[in-house]
Amino acid sequence: MDLGLQGKKAMLVGAARGIGMAIAETLAREGCDLVIAARSEDSVKDAVAALKRYGTNVIGRPVNVRKADDYKAWLTWADEAIGGVDILVPLSSSGGGMGSEKYWTNAFETDVMGPVRAVEAVIPGMTERKSGSIVLIGTTSVGEAMGGPQAYNAMKASLITWGKQLALFHGKDNIRVNVVSPGPVEFEGGNWDMIKGTMEKFYQSQLRQQPTGRLGTPDEIARCVAFLASPAASWCNGSHLVVDGGFTNRTHF
Amino acid sequence: MDVKRKVEITRVNPQDWPDGTPAWKEEDPDLGYDIIPAERYTSEAFAKLEWDRLWTKVWLLGGRSDDMREPGDYICTEIGKESVLIVRQEDGSVRAFPNVCLHRGNKLRPEGLGNAEKFQCMYHHWTYDLGGAICRIPDRDTFPQGAPPGARLPSYPCGEWGGFVWYSLNPDVEPLADYLDPMQKHLAPYHIERMAWKRDITVEWDCNWKAAVDAFSEVYHVQGIHPQLQWYLDDTNAQIDVYGKHSRYLVPFATVSARVALPSAIPPAIEHIMIQAGMDPAEYEGRVSDIRLDVQRFKREHGPEQGRDYSELNDDQLTDDYHYTIFPNVSLNVHADDVMMFRMRPHATDPNKMLYDVWMFELVPEGEEWPDRVRHQHFRHGDRTIGQVLDQDAFNLPTVQKGMHSDAFPGLWIGDQELRIRAFHKSITDYVYPDGQRPGDL
Repeated sequence: MDLGLQGKKAMLVGAARGIGMAIAETLAREGCDLVIAARSEDSVKDAVAALKRYGTNVIGRPVNVRKADDYKAWLTWADEAIGGVDILVPLSSSGGGMGSEKYWTNAFETDVMGPVRAVEAVIPGMTERKSGSIVLIGTTSVGEAMGGPQAYNAMKASLITWGKQLALFHGKDNIRVNVVSPGPVEFEGGNWDMIKGTMEKFYQSQLRQQPTGRLGTPDEIARCVAFLASPAASWCNGSHLVVDGGFTNRTHF
Repeated sequence: MDVKRKVEITRVNPQDWPDGTPAWKEEDPDLGYDIIPAERYTSEAFAKLEWDRLWTKVWLLGGRSDDMREPGDYICTEIGKESVLIVRQEDGSVRAFPNVCLHRGNKLRPEGLGNAEKFQCMYHHWTYDLGGAICRIPDRDTFPQGAPPGARLPSYPCGEWGGFVWYSLNPDVEPLADYLDPMQKHLAPYHIERMAWKRDITVEWDCNWKAAVDAFSEVYHVQGIHPQLQWYLDDTNAQIDVYGKHSRYLVPFATVSARVALPSAIPPAIEHIMIQAGMDPAEYEGRVSDIRLDVQRFKREHGPEQGRDYSELNDDQLTDDYHYTIFPNVSLNVHADDVMMFRMRPHATDPNKMLYDVWMFELVPEGEEWPDRVRHQHFRHGDRTIGQVLDQDAFNLPTVQKGMHSDAFPGLWIGDQELRIRAFHKSITDYVYPDGQRPGDL
């Protein structure tokens, strides 16, 4: 099946590692040009260098999503520099945390306003071109308890509501908006890698809850995101795809 | 070393801290690569040599000075077959005596702390004053031979340093200050005397006392039995220094080991360090690799308002583990806000057994009330937990001890990361074989 991604221009916010990097690699391999952002200059430089080997145009600059003005300037630059974004995958996240009110602010600024500002930056162009695809990233923790009551879980939940409503609102302009919610994903340097090392019993208990007895890989998330982002998913709009190897108990009727 | 990343640890410039704990790296002694005989850990004959030539010759840690503030306060502590009574005198000095009645050999006091005006034997009520002199023998006239020689308990050399009281079974022992040198200069800046008891535990372990000293003399085992600590400290960047019979290593804390990938989220144990320092991890904007230095800066800036005087400590000491071994059997993890120390005591007769004392102290911030002393607990290995990390340390030791009895195990195959173990054995050799080792010696 041809996904039809060849020549598309994709913007990824938070793409230097883990799931973001895997999505970038998948899209580049399928022939997309990329503009990427991450926090640190070094990691953007390394990621751009690694992604260029697939032969498409890859550019990137560091930005701190929580600095609204810098971030908006980055979005303007990125949209122009890549020549109009066809695909947007905003992944920025401040991660979990409990015990400080500040986690709510962090999650709001990074997990919510990161995607919100990116969507607002690309929608005018997509509307004009009558074509666009946006994939938001949720988490299975929006639907099932994980790690205690956290701002992260609640803020991620808001993306699913908002994503559906974006889809309804912009469908007339041939802009599709879908959400992918990954279950626990393990990669070197990721949270689950650290949990495996620091809380082995908890990690093993999570494996036991996985029907397949393992956690997901970034590639397994990336392929689903790439599909939903691609023209091959032309009839998917407003959908919420849970990608968790069967981890969550709930049946989605 | 098996590392995933290149990690540059920033350390203080020792010259910037001329009056503090010496931070510079000492030149490593050349101690060769010979096998250290397993029999040192298993042989009763060697244990006897250790008793005769080491335990009865060195200075030994008796207890905490603040447990004996008032005249008559005493600490009764045991080493091997001996029991020692350390007593605060009327003039404020400390003296140590064998804890044994000269009449029929009964122990005067059980192990532990107390206060007494006199020490009266429970058997026939022979009574000794705080200075060890016999002050009463009931029916004195029925001892025509008189009182035992001197009419007093012999005394052991005894002294105080660093908030601790020390004694020696050796009447001719060198001065305490000479024996401890240069540990005083290293440890004084921490002001351990400003710290209060947090835990006081004795655990019976089924291993030789040296196996326990070894377990706390290297960080090579972190990747083996403490994998979780790799998200807390950098075991690949330890600085090892040997100072004659004493030694140390310096391990960067609040950082992530080069053996694992750098996470983007702050590891929970490092979050804990930040919270303890008064920082809010949620507010933290830097990278995980910047945290160690930022915690140092934060503590330097905010210590005074928290009643924590770090003025004599260098920046590294505000986060890192400065771990010392005071020969032969005291192992201290010293930190700006706490000390976790261990005293390894040999069993009186069985080289396969020992007593492991865990002493933890925490800085009492200025203006805060000195807490009540924690109660001493004593149990056998495995009966209760002593915390995740120490449980992990303890877990292997009985099987190490059993394994060392195997004919297939000639001895310890020690690498560079374990230099302190080699230095430890060199010091043991110097005590046990003062005239040099001969063929057949262990």
